Amino acid sequence: MTEGAGARDGTSTGDPAAVGQAAGPPEAAAMKADQAVGIDPHEVAAIGPRDAAAIMREARERAGNELRARRPVLFVTWGLVLLLGYGAMWLSVRGQHPYYAPAWQALGLTFLLFLLAAVVTAQVVDRAASGIGGRSELQRGVFVLALLTGSAALLIEKSAMAQAGASRPILGVLGAAAPMLATGLVFVASAALTARLDWPRLTLGIWLLAVAAGGAWGGPVTMLAVCALAGGGGILLMAAIEPWLRHA
Amino acid sequence: MSEAELDPVIHGAARLRIMVTLASLRDGDDVSFTRLQDLIGLTPGNLITHLRKLEDAGYVTTEKNGSGVTARTAVALTHGGRAALEHYSVVLRDLLDSASPG
Repeated sequence: MTEGAGARDGTSTGDPAAVGQAAGPPEAAAMKADQAVGIDPHEVAAIGPRDAAAIMREARERAGNELRARRPVLFVTWGLVLLLGYGAMWLSVRGQHPYYAPAWQALGLTFLLFLLAAVVTAQVVDRAASGIGGRSELQRGVFVLALLTGSAALLIEKSAMAQAGASRPILGVLGAAAPMLATGLVFVASAALTARLDWPRLTLGIWLLAVAAGGAWGGPVTMLAVCALAGGGGILLMAAIEPWLRHA
Repeated sequence: MSEAELDPVIHGAARLRIMVTLASLRDGDDVSFTRLQDLIGLTPGNLITHLRKLEDAGYVTTEKNGSGVTARTAVALTHGGRAALEHYSVVLRDLLDSASPG
């Protein structure tokens, strides 16, 4: 659709209320303006205050919808990944006495789910952030870097602990907690860096840290179940309450 | 208070839409010309014309980076532009309040 500013709507009477009622939706007024031939778009459009208010509201809503990543999609995606991935690992270890490690099939499934979720995330974020530059672009880069380096550092730590002779149950707890700890810390720290306090991110970050810290006390098998149910379930719940928290 | 008090540079369907869209960006952010065109729904020629008007008023900045296929024109709202839009919103709200019955 093209539009222009400049055509004086023939219905305009100078009365804001009359213009607002007669001109119809702001899109219609804009299209009328665009259809006018030879109108200099520098000219002020014949929009009344009500039209202007409607245009502002519509433009704000559209920009909000188009420029904001669809968080519920991301929350549902990652909630399912945690639920299914950790759930599969838990199913593969719950009969182990003593605990050894999740089956390679469960680890493979979790890895694939993580890859799939990363692709979905990249697409959702890219759709919203396409063409947007400046500080947000830099912040996104640092955010992803923090998540990747945090997770990698914790997994390297796990390898170092294995090298130092840590038992399989200890490594199991750390391996399950590492992604939750890294994500939780990054979420909590970054929640305060937005223009307005990001309540959904802060809440989710604190929740993931609590899940990681609390689940560890149950040992490696229980830890996986807690991560699946409380971690994945918590993120899925966040998908439902995020709009409410965002406006809190 | 009358409609004449509404900033004439902003008070047009297309320019108002451009200003509100740019104000939706976070402070310190900019948007490429092509993305802005997608968001507003203007032809390139019309968008350039309106942006020039807003730039002349000091409400937006446009900056071209790169060349060839990597060329990108970044459009951003200035602090003055944000203040002007806020003032426009206040005047508009007063007009609507005074026009509403009761």
